[in-house]
Amino acid sequence: MTSSASSGATAPVATTSPPAPSGREGRRLAPAYGLTAPATIFVLVALMGPLALMFRYSLNRFVPGQMMVEALTLDNYARFFADSFYQEVLGTTLWISALSTLLCLVAGFPVAYFLVRQASDKWKGRLLLLIVLPLLMGNAVRTAAWMVILGDKGLFNAVIGAVGLSPVKLMYTPTAVVIGLVSVLLPFMIVTLQSVIEGIDANLESAAQSLGASHLTVLWRVVLPLALPGILAGTMLCFILSMNAYATPVLIGGPSFHMMAPTVYQQVAKAMNWPFGAALAFVLMAVTLVLTTTANVLVQRRYRRWSE
Amino acid sequence: MGLLAVNRIYAAITALVLAFVVLPLGAVIWVSFFANRILSFPATGYTLDWYARAWQLDSFRNGFITSVETALVAVALSLALGVPASLALVRYRFPGRDAIQTLLLSPMVVPGIVGGAALFMAFIELEILLDVDISGTLPGLFVAHGLIALPWTVRLVTASLVGMSPSYEEAAQSLGAGRLTTFFRVTLPIIKPGIVAAALFSFVISFIDLEKSIFLVGPGRTTLQIALVSYLEWNLDSTVAAVATVQILIIGVLLLVSDRYARLSRAF
Repeated sequence: MTSSASSGATAPVATTSPPAPSGREGRRLAPAYGLTAPATIFVLVALMGPLALMFRYSLNRFVPGQMMVEALTLDNYARFFADSFYQEVLGTTLWISALSTLLCLVAGFPVAYFLVRQASDKWKGRLLLLIVLPLLMGNAVRTAAWMVILGDKGLFNAVIGAVGLSPVKLMYTPTAVVIGLVSVLLPFMIVTLQSVIEGIDANLESAAQSLGASHLTVLWRVVLPLALPGILAGTMLCFILSMNAYATPVLIGGPSFHMMAPTVYQQVAKAMNWPFGAALAFVLMAVTLVLTTTANVLVQRRYRRWSE
Repeated sequence: MGLLAVNRIYAAITALVLAFVVLPLGAVIWVSFFANRILSFPATGYTLDWYARAWQLDSFRNGFITSVETALVAVALSLALGVPASLALVRYRFPGRDAIQTLLLSPMVVPGIVGGAALFMAFIELEILLDVDISGTLPGLFVAHGLIALPWTVRLVTASLVGMSPSYEEAAQSLGAGRLTTFFRVTLPIIKPGIVAAALFSFVISFIDLEKSIFLVGPGRTTLQIALVSYLEWNLDSTVAAVATVQILIIGVLLLVSDRYARLSRAF
């Protein structure tokens, strides 16, 4: 669903085409299908089939007590757009994701630039590893860590208490959710930006500088336009991941803070309202897809104008 | 602004961001040794008791075992399906190749919650149809986690195959080796680093999965991540910090080893 948006950012290695086959094609292609068939069938059966089934269910009707009644109705989607509670959930998800993504871009760009232009190769490898490692510790562990810091009696309040400031309520606030999300998403942004800045010829920057451009001008007029595809890819990746965030909003946002992914879980697994839960899941994917595609088109148009 | 000053600003921002990403993990490790009965700062003393308590709690111990089992099966499944598929994707050009590649990488881009919800519904339908338990059983988890690991395996193994010249395989075949012999005696040894990295990475990706598993765990069959989250919903104490520390240690070691075989930052 979101592949068009993130594949550019996430799949640079696997897209290299193999050399064109030479002769004997008919005989040589049979094994290709034999080798890919098991994996293909597995993904079709375990992912695409269930997704299609869930889409069908989103058109069913929910009757309390008997779960689901076969129907062909858009009621579940209509309910989403008529109910102000769910609009608010979507609204919260959107602004939290937009803000977190923006903060990731602002904080991530200097880091990526530093890694490419100023760190030695040895240090670049070490720092990248240090940035990527926390990402793979799992959402549960990273969220637990933020709870230790942001809790009412947490590290942050202990530190500001020690210097005589009164404690701040952080847990269960949108601020805390944004902090948690940014720490999850930053590594994705940094790694994406780093690989794009890597491809920008450093001589272009030296040339601009030797012609008298200040560093900020060089950044704004040379680096930024050239890094735009990476900025777009990183931004979309972070936005998509944050739209779908689960652990952070549930644990750091608390029981009265609602974002889309936890709401999908609540409807499908707890309320057992499959038709509505399914509709929520598809609304979430559709909104994400429409926004990322629009951003893609807009930025690409802009990019073309710049490069002319 | 001088060049030196500019460089210092970048270095300072990088240090701050690193601290922001890494320090929380340091805090959770630190807290796991606190002697305080109720989690608070500063520490009144230090102890290892929380580690013993964590292992005594059924939910964490069983969750850990289930997670390891599931991750091992996920690795096996993703290698069995992913290595042959990667070989075909890199070595052959055939109609539908791009579509198959996109499909195999798609589990990575479909949001975990959405894929998990869909699989949950499909499992329940299948249960009604076949009259067997699937949701909340190990096989159900295995399927979900194989799906989570597969795209990473395909990506890492195709990357290492792209870097290997097909002329080695052609040489072996022109000397009379069959396809299987060529694969096991020539291809496999050369791409072994990619496969090791894929196995380690798949293990980690499966071990830390939360969003898909949350739909598929059942009573008594919970992965460690789900156990952690349900514990955290009600308490935050040094027990959970001890579990987190053990997890950080295990995953840290696995990733450092896997980084020796294939650069981790390139997996994203």
